[in-house]
Amino acid sequence: MKVPTRRPEEFLPLTPAMFHILLALADKERHGYHIMREVDERTEGNVKLGPGTLYGSIKRMMADGLIEELEERPDPELDDERRRYYRLTDFGFRVATAEAQRLEQMVRSARAKKLLPRAKSS
Amino acid sequence: MSKILSKDTRWFLSIYSILLLAYPREFRQEYGSQMVLLLLDCQRDARTAPARTRIWLRTLIDLVRTAPREHLEKIRKDNTFMRNLRTDLFAIGGCVLIILAALLLLNYGRSHQVSSILVFGFALDAIVFTGVLGNLIVFLLVKLTNLRPLRIAFWTFLIVSLVPALALTFIAIAVDPKFNAPNVLIGYVVSFFFWYGLHRLWANKLKPVEPA
Repeated sequence: MKVPTRRPEEFLPLTPAMFHILLALADKERHGYHIMREVDERTEGNVKLGPGTLYGSIKRMMADGLIEELEERPDPELDDERRRYYRLTDFGFRVATAEAQRLEQMVRSARAKKLLPRAKSS
Repeated sequence: MSKILSKDTRWFLSIYSILLLAYPREFRQEYGSQMVLLLLDCQRDARTAPARTRIWLRTLIDLVRTAPREHLEKIRKDNTFMRNLRTDLFAIGGCVLIILAALLLLNYGRSHQVSSILVFGFALDAIVFTGVLGNLIVFLLVKLTNLRPLRIAFWTFLIVSLVPALALTFIAIAVDPKFNAPNVLIGYVVSFFFWYGLHRLWANKLKPVEPA
């Protein structure tokens, strides 16, 4: 696995595709089609990742050490053994968190400028 | 997984496999099969013909958008184009200078009858001849094939040195018994070691330094 030498903040801002992929992998490992489906469902069809965008982003995130490919292949009885599964690395988790905080800060600024309604206090 | 694919789906997957050639080779080798598999999954999930058409359109647009980006990134990351161009120009310039220097030295020696130069006349002759022909062949083969440059240089200079040397010797001996065959042969042997040695030095210079 590639050992990251940069700070998470150096990767910000992430492209929307990269952030969505990190979010998709935040709870469990998935293969390409699973990632695509998860993003599609979570964004209610607003973000649709094409094969080139998905695997181009995966390639870059693997090179940067944000995600990694699982070495074991799925059971051929349960899934297509050609599928490659990916998971978030600790560093990828930190980068995703940093990006989420950056976006949260921007949303706060938008609220302060009354572009968005105030968040309901819980 | 055992669902039978429709003829249209199989046809489009074949087309898409060909269109993947638009991506850089490394990217294609690493992710091409996964991209086709992904598209296959999308097709299986699309229940209606319009949904399948939308997938294909989106995929084609995605390909047009992402293939140039992958190429640009490859060029930027490797910087091979500019680095290779600089290296190639430097190598070609070096070869041209050596050949010109040998040619000028030979002409000067002949016109002024400088014996210390003419002693090396056979070698200089061979260096000019094999330099022009051999380097041209080596350059083309290095650019057009995936063979190892040093191996190309070895065999090219061996052939362009050996073949003319032997041919010249046999023809000239038949025509002119006074022909100085040993010197011609020595000249071509010197020329072979000269050019192959230079290519070896160049290859060592270009070899990436291993990190400590």
